[in-house]
Amino acid sequence: MKIKLLIVLFLTLSAVTAGAYDRSVLAEYNDLYKNGNYQAALEGYLEIAAKESYNPYAFYNAGNAYFRMNKPGLAILYYGKAFRLDPRDPDIRTNLEFAMKHTGQNFVPEGMPKALHYLYYFFSDRELKAVATVFWWLACLLLSIYALKEAMREKLRGSILGAGLILAGAFFWSAARSSSLFSDAAVVTENSTQLLSGPGETFKTYATLPEARLVKVLDDTDDVYYEIGIPREGIKGWVKKTSAGKI
Amino acid sequence: MNISISNIFFRDIGRLTIFIALCLCAFIPPSLHAAFSISAETDKQSVEINDSLYLTITVSGDSSSVPEPALPQMNNFNIYSSGRSQNISIINGKIATSVAFTYILTPRFIGKQKIPPISVSNGAEKHITPEIEVNVVKAAAAAQAAQPQNTAPRAQAARQPSARAQAARQPEEMLFMTAETDKKAAYPNEQVNLTIRFYTAVPLTSNPQYVPPTFKNLISEDLPPVKNGETVIKGVRYTYSEIKTALFGIEEGQASINPASVFAQIHQGGAVDPFDPNFFQQFFAMNSGQGETRQVTSNSAALKILPLPEGAPAAFNGAVGNFTFSAEPDRREIKTGEALNLSLAITGKGNLKTLLAPKLPDMPDFKVYDTVNSLNISKDNDIIGGKKVFTTVLIPKTEGRRTIPRINFAFLDPATKTYKELSAGPFELTVEKGDGEGQNVSFAHGGQAALITPISSDIRYVSDKTAAPLTGTAAGRISAMPLWLNLFPVGALLLSLWLARLNDFRLKNPMLFRFRKAHGEARADLAGAADKLKNGRPKEAASILYDSLLAYLYDKSGHKVSGLTMRRTLTLLKEKFPDAGENALNGIKDLWGKLEALHFSPGGATQEEAKDMLETYTALLALLEKEFKKRG
Repeated sequence: MKIKLLIVLFLTLSAVTAGAYDRSVLAEYNDLYKNGNYQAALEGYLEIAAKESYNPYAFYNAGNAYFRMNKPGLAILYYGKAFRLDPRDPDIRTNLEFAMKHTGQNFVPEGMPKALHYLYYFFSDRELKAVATVFWWLACLLLSIYALKEAMREKLRGSILGAGLILAGAFFWSAARSSSLFSDAAVVTENSTQLLSGPGETFKTYATLPEARLVKVLDDTDDVYYEIGIPREGIKGWVKKTSAGKI
Repeated sequence: MNISISNIFFRDIGRLTIFIALCLCAFIPPSLHAAFSISAETDKQSVEINDSLYLTITVSGDSSSVPEPALPQMNNFNIYSSGRSQNISIINGKIATSVAFTYILTPRFIGKQKIPPISVSNGAEKHITPEIEVNVVKAAAAAQAAQPQNTAPRAQAARQPSARAQAARQPEEMLFMTAETDKKAAYPNEQVNLTIRFYTAVPLTSNPQYVPPTFKNLISEDLPPVKNGETVIKGVRYTYSEIKTALFGIEEGQASINPASVFAQIHQGGAVDPFDPNFFQQFFAMNSGQGETRQVTSNSAALKILPLPEGAPAAFNGAVGNFTFSAEPDRREIKTGEALNLSLAITGKGNLKTLLAPKLPDMPDFKVYDTVNSLNISKDNDIIGGKKVFTTVLIPKTEGRRTIPRINFAFLDPATKTYKELSAGPFELTVEKGDGEGQNVSFAHGGQAALITPISSDIRYVSDKTAAPLTGTAAGRISAMPLWLNLFPVGALLLSLWLARLNDFRLKNPMLFRFRKAHGEARADLAGAADKLKNGRPKEAASILYDSLLAYLYDKSGHKVSGLTMRRTLTLLKEKFPDAGENALNGIKDLWGKLEALHFSPGGATQEEAKDMLETYTALLALLEKEFKKRG
């Protein structure tokens, strides 16, 4: 009974905090979007996103506004943020795929079955981390009981094995995702962004990057430049942080 | 038990594997992409080196949106986008689209040049055009120049810069770029032309690389072709190449044009003459040659994007330019359930790409479906314009005389700084009763009425969900926990292991723990006896003290002293604690004797006697703890 009460309390608290702003506020921003006032709608969506960093729909709506304003780079950046928060949402997936296709990129890598791609991104990074955390605590708790209560050891073995397997699975899944397209990714937000051979204006320009191109961030410790890699072309270099946004 | 758990576990894993495999099979979708085709052609087979040709790539398909062609890199031509022309038709819900993408190609080398295959892919299908061969010949003007002419020497002399001026030039003056706009302020979506010129007075090895400028608060559209010419500045003759770009402000405020760049290689030996006719064909190419590389950048420029004038009509949705507007349904007599195409055409000068569809009035008598649009862009005289047609499918719900109300379209004319409102309609329709289940028929291919074919592709609409998904919120909170908190379960686990080990040790060594706990328990007994004494129950206090002493001696000696004589007990204590003093053993003997006498006497202990025993026992306990520590 106590456990049920705790669950209800947790769910209620989560729901209350998750919907921290008024529905009419969002409706107002959506009306602005509907009437073609994308800039004003965007400002509203970004305000919500700043308040609720866990809310994928704020990022999704901002991505839509950017797309309508013909800024595909920023649109993909915000769709990407939304996708990382809620990879199962069909609207987010569709619009991200559409925007990527619109800019000559593949959302699902060539040769990869769509269903496998869906499974690969079934859980968000945060969900995987949360599962690993919860099962880490659970596994430790069960092991503690196992150590203290000799009479319960026989019953606990299966639970400990299950918790351990889920924990290991979450770890391996997270590790496998670290090399994915959207892990440590950034999007080029300005057209003809110069890819430099070093973090400064004095270095040679390797190439120019088109807007909306997804790149890997190799190092973001510099104040002004990202060190980025472009796996498909096998090159790396530096771009200004003002010319690319990290997902 | 372990075996059965393992069996259940592996059986579950097996089921999960089968489930995943089934999911993989079930979720692999058939291709949903519409079919399309591609063709490419040039307007001429042969072109002079100082001329250009048009390459038209036509992509046709049965969807409102067809993919754009991907042009391969062509080192033998410079390529500029010239515009697009789109035709779209919807007949009984069946869509046919044809988009012609036009490019201007300027040849770079004389001889037979090839345009490589051009591919178009929609992600599922890929189509490739065949290779096209073009014969590039010498310029007729150049050939004529080779013949003796009266004007030739003068022209040649004009081309040669003065030796004195040449010698006086600074390196930065030999190559430079300029960028200027034809306006300093404009309304959002009003066209502003940017002209970028690259000047050179020195020979180049060839192939300068052009990096176009980036823009803030502006969107751009190429205005090809590149124009070339010669000019004299401060007594120095330069050749220049000029490219124009149309810019459109996005929103009110400041807009900026960042510097454009050219990476040019100066030929030390002067092998290439900048006044050679072929020089212009080398501008904006991508390859690099030998020589010293110079980067030249243009100046940056700023634009003010003005606020829109007050008094915008309700129908205004951001269109700026000069347009005409017309609307027309494709038929006036129709049956319920049949599809009617209502086309709204906007023609004129302005940024048609971002032009939104005029808002349709409420039409309760019709089902209104998605709007598709076709776009034809022209760039005549460096002015962006063309025609955009929005086609909406309407299906009348009921029979009778039905009206499509008047449709309004408003735009801002930047020349007069006034809003203009145009309208079309209303349109009277005669709707007859249709056949049965017509209402849901739409956008289907020919005879396959059950299939639905997408008529357009676009992003999905904004979400009206206010709350983040619960799992995401919970996961966010859990994953936001500091990492060090995860050390707590490790601490708890280590504590449990230590407690388990301690418990195990205690079970194996009970007397050791009794020995350690004896003092604490005796002190607890003393407190209990003091409490009894305080409540005026001396007999019970004496009994507690007696039992406590025997228990204490049992714990310390490891023998149950209640079954032993006092002498035997003292002997055992002496054996166990040989260093214990005689006074301690005598103290035990005295207290034990007194307590035994009081415990078994018929009247029991008085308050005074019990108090005396309590004090004696307290003092003895302190002494014994001290003495027993001398052991070993």
